[in-house]
Amino acid sequence: MSCAKFEPLIALYVERDLPESEARMVEMHLEACPDCREFAAEMRESQAALKSLRTDFVEEAVFGKVRTEVVSRLSTPRQTAAWPRYAVAAMLLMGLCAGWLWYTRPAASLKFQPGIAAIAPPPVTRVSALPQRVPRARVRPHRARPAPAFRSEPLVVKIVTDDPQVVIYWLVDQNGG
Amino acid sequence: MQELALLMDSGCLDARDEEFASLVKQAKAGDTAAFDAIMIRFERQVLGTALRLLNRNLEDAKDAAQQVFLRLHRSLHQLDESRHFASWLYRITVNVCRDMQRVRARRPSLSLEEVGEVAAAAGEDVIQRNEQRGMIYAALARLPERERTAVVLRDLEGLSTSEVARIMGCAEVTVRSQISNARVKMRKFVIQRQRRPR
Repeated sequence: MSCAKFEPLIALYVERDLPESEARMVEMHLEACPDCREFAAEMRESQAALKSLRTDFVEEAVFGKVRTEVVSRLSTPRQTAAWPRYAVAAMLLMGLCAGWLWYTRPAASLKFQPGIAAIAPPPVTRVSALPQRVPRARVRPHRARPAPAFRSEPLVVKIVTDDPQVVIYWLVDQNGG
Repeated sequence: MQELALLMDSGCLDARDEEFASLVKQAKAGDTAAFDAIMIRFERQVLGTALRLLNRNLEDAKDAAQQVFLRLHRSLHQLDESRHFASWLYRITVNVCRDMQRVRARRPSLSLEEVGEVAAAAGEDVIQRNEQRGMIYAALARLPERERTAVVLRDLEGLSTSEVARIMGCAEVTVRSQISNARVKMRKFVIQRQRRPR
């Protein structure tokens, strides 16, 4: 191993930060290498200079100032931005206005709003075996017109074919079903 | 600081300490005097570390200490009894100082020559007294952020490598590498400075 590769190990060795096995390897190298011994001596010197900062002191008054500032900031209620409250209030107001407009809308205006008519339930509710796929265009007139009188009798249509054995009877529900 | 380090090694400065747990409980209940007592107990640790991480800028260090204690106050309810309080506070301090350094990175820092000029302007006796410290702080300031943090916690705060790794949130082997790199750079800096003709 070259001396350059020992330098990072020596930097840890001087502060006893190396595991036992690596420390022994460094010691063996230091015994044989004067350059690395000098490097280790300089490293100890710079470490001593660094550790002299441990005795750096701060005046007591500084600590007191920090504590006082912290306590005063804790006792002052936190100033939060006002805009979120205004935004929520504005949204509520807009919602109320929209609700009021919808509630007070003229009833006749519905026929000019196909979107609303499409989602409204059909005016006549009857159970039918057939699927009720009614085109939108046919539903709309029912909304505007008064509901037709209820007819209980179905219309019977008899269809005679060329074959005398085959006669088709077509029952038509007059209530639109 | 050494007493603090000894207390930490013996595990006396964590939330399991009965007296400290009682203080925390009172502070959680809104007792300002109890929180003040907690600050007194840890102010040297917090301010000292901040001072070293922030290139001995006292105003910045005071700002950092205030932020650390305000953050502590906000987090009191989260304090876990099993958590080592001192280590947790070190981590907060390191994070606050790192954020401050990033925000103030645009500020031009003093080069070694400028540090010498500032010291010279202060007078000959001040130079002799503070030259070495100024030189070491200048060397610290030139280290990359992670290396500076690692060497401050290990060599100045006297924490173990494993504790430094826990505070910095990285592997012990990474911390050892950072400390080694920092020491080699510091040595080069100090030796060059000492050999420079006056």
